[in-house]
Amino acid sequence: MKKTGVAMDGRESVNIPAWPFGASKAFLRDPAANIVIILLIVQLVCIVAGMLWPDDFRYLSALNMKTLLRSIPQIGFIAIGVGILMIAGEFDLSVGATFTISSLTLAMLHGAGIPVALCVLAALSLGAAIGLVNGFLSLRFAIPSFIVTLGTMMILRGAILFVSGTATIPFRPAPWFDMLLTGEIGFMQAQFIWLVAFTLGAWALLSRHRIGNHLYAVGGNRAAANAIGVEVLRTKLFAFAAAGVMAAVSGIVSTTRVSSVSPIQGQGLELQAIAACVIGGLALTGGRGSALGIFAGAFLIYTVQNVLLLVGAPGYYLEAFIGMVLVAAVIANGIMNKRA
Amino acid sequence: MISNTHDAPLLRLAGVGKIYGRTAALSDVDIEIRKNEVLGLLGDNGAGKSTLIKILSGVLPRSSGTFEAGGHPADIRSRHDSAALGIETIYQDIALVGPMPIWRNMFLARELCSRLGFLRCAEMRRTTIEILHRGVEISGVDDPDAEVASLSGGQMQAVAIARAVHFRSKMLLLDEPTSALSVRETENVLKYMVDLRDEGVSSVFVTHNLYHAFQVCDRFVVMSHGRKVADVAKKDTSIEALTRLIVAH
Repeated sequence: MKKTGVAMDGRESVNIPAWPFGASKAFLRDPAANIVIILLIVQLVCIVAGMLWPDDFRYLSALNMKTLLRSIPQIGFIAIGVGILMIAGEFDLSVGATFTISSLTLAMLHGAGIPVALCVLAALSLGAAIGLVNGFLSLRFAIPSFIVTLGTMMILRGAILFVSGTATIPFRPAPWFDMLLTGEIGFMQAQFIWLVAFTLGAWALLSRHRIGNHLYAVGGNRAAANAIGVEVLRTKLFAFAAAGVMAAVSGIVSTTRVSSVSPIQGQGLELQAIAACVIGGLALTGGRGSALGIFAGAFLIYTVQNVLLLVGAPGYYLEAFIGMVLVAAVIANGIMNKRA
Repeated sequence: MISNTHDAPLLRLAGVGKIYGRTAALSDVDIEIRKNEVLGLLGDNGAGKSTLIKILSGVLPRSSGTFEAGGHPADIRSRHDSAALGIETIYQDIALVGPMPIWRNMFLARELCSRLGFLRCAEMRRTTIEILHRGVEISGVDDPDAEVASLSGGQMQAVAIARAVHFRSKMLLLDEPTSALSVRETENVLKYMVDLRDEGVSSVFVTHNLYHAFQVCDRFVVMSHGRKVADVAKKDTSIEALTRLIVAH
């Protein structure tokens, strides 16, 4: 029943553990602990394999490192938003479409000669607006967010094809903008640094800020949070907006990286993002999870993809493997939680 | 009207009613909740007890009637109003968030924050440890990081009560607080109510169990079909008399 082991006999009173012990205990309590350990093991195996067979398994090649660090952020940014929303007890299936339509907005406005900073602002605002509309529809009419966002996903996909046809739209911003978002220092990629920064931001928000406290509360037990005095609707709306904004962030960074937007971009990202969150230890029922878990989940998904590419597996293996990792992670988390 | 604020009741309700559509869930209820007392709110299912508790705790607006707190006119329209009057509600389906640790529950919606809204975690954990140790005879929990979902029903109820007490409430509203508890945990909650009364925190105790009510209450209000049908001091009644009152109406 009690997990401390400190006061089982009722003798010992206040006992605040010393830092290293406390930190490791706190870490092991984090639902992300399992996945971080698995991620580290996978990395270790890949690195060792890369060193043993540098010609056959080019994991450690500069090119592969760059690819890896460039690719993780795309799913990572989205997963942060989706994760914040999942912690608040809601889903957003429209983030893939939001990703694409914000990218389109960015590219088309820029193509029309509008300064890039304003284009970015417009793309972010559009993301936030889509999130808020999702939240409003779901909360105002008490429809599960899963259904509402399935609807907005289809509406947005239609709108994307209506606006762009099937054409790919170029985006060629000034070099400073390109450097800022997607430049590189050695093999380190700017977008990965941005992802780390956003992850730290999400950690500060979720674990150290009042808003985060309320996000966990409305996701963990909405009725109780309401009875205690948490502003449930406002908190959930915030989370919906965060999901939209992060989808737009991912869209902006990805569009800058590939210098164009294609209307079929972003398809399937919503489910990959949810998969990353679930692998990272977030509960589908809300109220549980951490920024570290989301980051680790996204990292692991992309590592698996990367390894499959390196060993020359056919493209259709990727989805199947992500599916397997997802199911395995959920089972593992369930077992670990029961044992805890 | 002469009102002496020293002897005035903590809260006085006059003519309070609640109408849902065409049904009157409460009509014309006058109740006083005094200082240093445990008031038993009794009645069969559908008597209006829970409606009354919801109105007092600010989650349900009343349709009619007036409030007076400490002799002065008052109003309860929201959870914020009731908190300002020092009213805290302990629900039967305990209002705690399971996946969160005790200390976060303790300060939920009343977080200690920096000006930018960042949590003062260390301070809140420390205070939670103090709170848990003060109520330790009932809770048997002393780890502020323990997840609330891992506690027993009685421990959760203890955390909820400790939270209410810490935030200096003058009055606890307990809606069937013991319905999910073991016998021993129930005894602890009942004892806690009496201890709190002696420390100056009044309680309104809603229960179906007349033995529990008789054990701790100083006064009883019996409700039936949304109306108050009796208001008696413990010394003027008995369990049998109360049972007759509840069944008769």
